[in-house]
Amino acid sequence: MPTTTSSSSSAAASSSSSGNRQADVFSRLASSDPEVKLKALREVKNQIIGNRTKKLSFLKLGAVPAIASALSDADDSDKCNNILVQSAAALGSFACGFEAGVQAVLDAGVFPHLLRLLTNPDEKVVDAGARSLRMIFQSNLAPKYDFLQEKNMEFLFSLLNSENENVSGLGASIIAHACGTSVEQRLLCDAGVLEKLVILLDGSLSQREACLESLATVLKNNPDAVSHFVGLEGGRYLSSVTELTKDRYTRTRLLSCLCLVVIYNTSPSYFLNMGTKSSLITTLLELLNDPGQSGDDAALGLSSLIAEKEDLQKLADEANAIKNIVDILKTGSELQPKRLQGLFLSLAELCSKLEDCRCSFLSLQVLDLLINALRHSDANVRTAACICFKNAARSIKNLSAGHFTNDNVMLPLVQLLHDPASSVQVAVLGALSNIVLDFSAPKSTFIEYGGIKQLIELSKSMDPNARCSALRALRNLMFLADNKRKEIFFSDVKAQGFACLISDPEPPVQEQALALLRNLVDGCISSIEFVFDEDCLILNTVGRQLRKAPQAQMAIQGMYVLTNVASGNELHKEAVMQQLFPQGEAESENFMLKFLQSHESQLRSATVWTIINLISPSSPGALDRHVKLRNAAIISQLKNMVNDACLDVKIRIRTVLGQSMSFGDS
Amino acid sequence: MSLFRILINQLEEEDEEMATSKKVITREGWEKKLNAVKLRKEDMNTLVMNFLVTEGYVEAAEKFQRESGTKPEIDLATITDRMAVKKAVQNGNVEDAIEKVNDLNPEILDTNPELFFHLQQQRLIELIRQGRTEEALEFAQEELAPRGEENQAFLAELEKTVALLVFEDASNCPVKELLDISHRLKTASEVNAAILTSQSHEKDPKLPSLLKMLVWAQNQLDEKAVYPHINDLSTGKLEDPAE
Repeated sequence: MPTTTSSSSSAAASSSSSGNRQADVFSRLASSDPEVKLKALREVKNQIIGNRTKKLSFLKLGAVPAIASALSDADDSDKCNNILVQSAAALGSFACGFEAGVQAVLDAGVFPHLLRLLTNPDEKVVDAGARSLRMIFQSNLAPKYDFLQEKNMEFLFSLLNSENENVSGLGASIIAHACGTSVEQRLLCDAGVLEKLVILLDGSLSQREACLESLATVLKNNPDAVSHFVGLEGGRYLSSVTELTKDRYTRTRLLSCLCLVVIYNTSPSYFLNMGTKSSLITTLLELLNDPGQSGDDAALGLSSLIAEKEDLQKLADEANAIKNIVDILKTGSELQPKRLQGLFLSLAELCSKLEDCRCSFLSLQVLDLLINALRHSDANVRTAACICFKNAARSIKNLSAGHFTNDNVMLPLVQLLHDPASSVQVAVLGALSNIVLDFSAPKSTFIEYGGIKQLIELSKSMDPNARCSALRALRNLMFLADNKRKEIFFSDVKAQGFACLISDPEPPVQEQALALLRNLVDGCISSIEFVFDEDCLILNTVGRQLRKAPQAQMAIQGMYVLTNVASGNELHKEAVMQQLFPQGEAESENFMLKFLQSHESQLRSATVWTIINLISPSSPGALDRHVKLRNAAIISQLKNMVNDACLDVKIRIRTVLGQSMSFGDS
Repeated sequence: MSLFRILINQLEEEDEEMATSKKVITREGWEKKLNAVKLRKEDMNTLVMNFLVTEGYVEAAEKFQRESGTKPEIDLATITDRMAVKKAVQNGNVEDAIEKVNDLNPEILDTNPELFFHLQQQRLIELIRQGRTEEALEFAQEELAPRGEENQAFLAELEKTVALLVFEDASNCPVKELLDISHRLKTASEVNAAILTSQSHEKDPKLPSLLKMLVWAQNQLDEKAVYPHINDLSTGKLEDPAE
């Protein structure tokens, strides 16, 4: 067709003409005539500024090394100044908000040359060099700056002391980029960096922004630095930062809010004033509506501010946070992954403790939004959505209403168990743990979709967090479960597999495995039989773990397993005795004595429960078992505990001693 | 700015005094009250200088500096550069304007995608205005289409702009306002504001917003009192209220 031909030929012509132009620029960049070279540099610079596509195509053609050699070839004489300015500006633009560009600029080895520009007598050259370096330091790819070296620290302070705003701003950017550890924070504070930074708070826009960012890095999780900062000139600078949350520039408002969030999370005592807290929340909520990067960052700032703080969650709820956030999620425009992550995490935090929040959240018809987020291409978004599910499902009311157990929710959640990212797996396990605790529904959807199988799979994961969360989900799934479900589970995991889980190298995993076993053997007599499979493999493993002087939390679950087994028939009780008093092992102090003396009241309670079940008078072997316990000094230990501080333990001990009396013990 | 607060506080006090009934204030009484407000001459001068600097009247600012000794908030040389950029856009030399902005501070267009798009759009409009259709199409395809891919709002604006090409006679085009000189002025003031912001300077002068506040305050006060008005802002003459 003629139309097609003509259009394709014209497209080809245009692309080849622009290709020629670009090739031509390259030869001019390498020209020995400084005028030609300068013009070519300016041309490239003006083509790429603001234009991502151009940056990429020039990058692919190798423009960065060409410009880098123009920079390194130029000497510091006056006539070269323009070349220095233009090449630095072009390199800075390649590095501006474009990671591939930063990499290329660094690979081209321009770093020392740009640093050299900072000492040039011409202010324009200094500006250009400082700007480009600042661009590079805004990227994570920028080289780590070693504050531990004295000469580096000196150089940093020479930057911060500079009259030139781009140079002092560069100093602040280096700190924001490279200060990561508490050692570095202390080093910088000792060297007086806070005193220097606060001066920049009164400086130009870019100085102020760089300063707020670096303040946040130096203060983060460092109470000493915070108290030092707050103490400077009687708290004047904390007020300055607070004042900047009302600034007319969005970015400044955001950065000052983030700085306050860091201070609050580090040392909450400086925020006694409720008004400050609620205005911080209101400002962050307003910033969420900013369509740009500030809005993205505000979302994560908000979630970090309210994380695990019920009072702030209440304030956020009063400021209508849930509705605000859901409205943004519902606008339908494409949101950045970072923003989605922050918004879902904020919602998750709001739903973590307050039942009212969970209800108002779920009343806004948000399930579809959440389900879509579960399928998002970014793992952080999927994780955040799972955490949101988990916390919303803490509402027993909504859980019982079956909001979460329908196929629309269950299928994507179960699918996420196969997620390649282990952070997602752990988060989805958390969500499922809560959802499978649904008392009313048969939980069959979950099982139908192969949920149990997948949970067992994950309980063998390389990631201990994933193992732990998978076992927690299974534990909830087996809570008051019927025999059929227990059979499905056990036939898959088998005694051997279970024994492995109980002997996992990580104590928290062992604890969850024992807690799962405790639920598994709870209920009818036939459930108890699981521990006798393959020559008592599981029970032996439990006994062995208990005898190894385990951590209290693990011992509690282990003792409850024994309690549940000891609630069975005579055979079961004797098997428990076998574990408590193994034959052929050296007579040492019985581990139950240690448990009874533990500071953990739950462990004392669990141990007493086991004893109650063992010597319950209705069983024929109770007397013999009582004798054994008395010989091991356990009964006398219990007598010492009749006034135990924990009411539960106290009552149980009285039960035991009552039983004991019936055996003629006084 | 302190002057701002003085005015507002004063008005608030007036407000409180007259909250109970609609009071009549004579010209004499009003002038007495006005005279009681102490304004520092330096503050007034700063206000004028702020206006001259922000609006880019560099020669007037220089002269004013000499006559009144008021220090401008920024280096007057930067005003000349900024005005050159503004003027280039106003004259339709957008490419020239872009180069000048990039010389001034390469970060401005690198970190402000909306402004960059609007400048490129203005370039396209100028090509269309000059009837260079082929070039316009190529430019739209090469420079603007990728921006449209990055941002939905830009795509919509781009489509609107390209629609200019469809009409033989642009005066029939529903988006003909794009060809209007006022659109150039709009783009020019956007660049102007961005440069001011990059220089940590407010993008709007304070004087016009103060005048707006004056009108607002008079309206508020009308509810509670009858008093001489300033109706003509250019003379600032007090006019007696209509009987």
